[in-house]
Amino acid sequence: MMRNAFSSALVTAAQSDPRILLLTGDHGYALFDEFRKVCPDQYINAGVAEQNMVGVAAGLAKGGFRPIVYGLSAFVPMRVIEQIKLDICYEELPVIFIGDGAGVVYSGLGSSHQSTEDIAALRAIPNIKILSPADHYEMAQCMELALRSLHPVYIRMGKANLPSIHSAQPNFQLGELCQIKGGHNQICFIATGSMVSTTITVSEKFNDVAVWSAPSIKPLNIDQVVKIAQSHQLIITLEEHSIFGGLGSAIAEIAAEYAPTKVCRIGIQDRFSKFCGSYQYLMQEHKLDIESVTSQIFLALKT
Amino acid sequence: MVLKEQFVVSQIMFDAKKLRQTILNMAYAGSTVHIGCAFSIVEILAVLYRSHLNFANNNPEDPLRDYLVLSKGHGVMAQYACMYELGWLTDNDVHNYFHDGTVLKGLSDAHVKGLEVSSGSLGHGVSVGVGLALAAKRNQTNQRCFAIAGDGEINEGSIWEALLFAAHFELSNLLVIVDNNGYQAMGTTNEVMRLGNIADKFRAFGFETREVDGHNEIALDQTIHELMELNSKSPKAIVAHTVKGKGISFMENDNCWHYTRLTDETYKSAIAELQSI
Repeated sequence: MMRNAFSSALVTAAQSDPRILLLTGDHGYALFDEFRKVCPDQYINAGVAEQNMVGVAAGLAKGGFRPIVYGLSAFVPMRVIEQIKLDICYEELPVIFIGDGAGVVYSGLGSSHQSTEDIAALRAIPNIKILSPADHYEMAQCMELALRSLHPVYIRMGKANLPSIHSAQPNFQLGELCQIKGGHNQICFIATGSMVSTTITVSEKFNDVAVWSAPSIKPLNIDQVVKIAQSHQLIITLEEHSIFGGLGSAIAEIAAEYAPTKVCRIGIQDRFSKFCGSYQYLMQEHKLDIESVTSQIFLALKT
Repeated sequence: MVLKEQFVVSQIMFDAKKLRQTILNMAYAGSTVHIGCAFSIVEILAVLYRSHLNFANNNPEDPLRDYLVLSKGHGVMAQYACMYELGWLTDNDVHNYFHDGTVLKGLSDAHVKGLEVSSGSLGHGVSVGVGLALAAKRNQTNQRCFAIAGDGEINEGSIWEALLFAAHFELSNLLVIVDNNGYQAMGTTNEVMRLGNIADKFRAFGFETREVDGHNEIALDQTIHELMELNSKSPKAIVAHTVKGKGISFMENDNCWHYTRLTDETYKSAIAELQSI
């Protein structure tokens, strides 16, 4: 669903703007069927050579084009982090990066294809926006924001076939948290990407709790986070990403500096996956399934 | 040197001796390193600026300019020296090089008008140059891209990714010039990482490739002209055989001038040697 939203936003944008070029490092086979049919001249397979692909994207952007660089998030941005820093971000070129399969989506393929450090790695690089949609509606909005932006943007595309969160395209802006549920409980949830769906289910076990989705991790609207921090005693963050440097860190940094509040970060606990298995199995291994998340929260409430 | 056979696009002479003098002045003013890296590409840059790079109205930001990509950013003082001749840099820039709060850095930096890419982290510039060449092809603008890579720099795998891409996408408007001075940071290229025959490697990657004495301006000029006029869809390459530190006897082929700063004595004796030619 999310990949369809990406694909259709891409095709629509490319049809109306010939400057849009899709670059892929020989990935995304079925995903680009429609694009290749409708905009064959705007499709560039750069081969299994991601470093060069990002440099080429920089040159194309300098020459007036709007490159959209697609790869698995284990490779784009991870393998090309320095090209993104120097060739794209230093010059603030309008290049959009799509990192597909973020988190442990490629559960059976092991650590080479899993990506739980991409947000952390990019957050410290100036000039790039980091977006992390939770469903196809958020993806559509993220693509709109990215295409409208004249800055580098990374869109983190995680598990694609999770239930929809929204019933229509939400109109959040860069930096804005998107409230899914209001509530007056002293605890609240802020989740991103695949974990929003899990969070909504978990939140049913608590009385009157607010839930926010964070489709924009950088920038992050400080005022909005401060208000949330000021009106709660505990913020629980959830992400399919390391607890170091991702959404949880970003929220905790703001809370610590402007409105000291306890933040409980639920995410990957600074380790690689040990085993092979289904996506659900790997999420259990990392204690990111509904039951494990619920018990972690009860534990946090006791301490 | 007799330049009458050259194809001239600029009225400025880009005299190699004067360029080396500017490099020495900057390196002395800023107490900076990488002098040897700059000296090996002086003639290459002089010929490109004098006879091949089209900068309409002397404007480094002209949208239809030819691109000069210094992928081996360590040689940037040679490019600054050319930009000084063009009037893009001033005496003030030269004499205050590396002073606090100034903009000219020790490596190529795209925030400086006239420098197309940020390099120094090696293996970046050629890929960006490939992208610029592809953009020009797609825009049908006749712009060319001249990318200068170091022989040490082509240790980087991304360079070879870029060459594959350039050949596959038939970027005939791209010329990669390898400054083959035989040295890299920690020793000769043979000691550090044998490159074998660089020209053969470029040919194997689908480049129209020539080898030339990188300090012979007439030969460089003719080779560049011949390559860019070829009726061929292939990208082009020149392996320029050069001398690291070229022009100052005590710097030539002495790799300490990758890192050594000028003292009052070495500065004076280098300037004196240049003036005696």
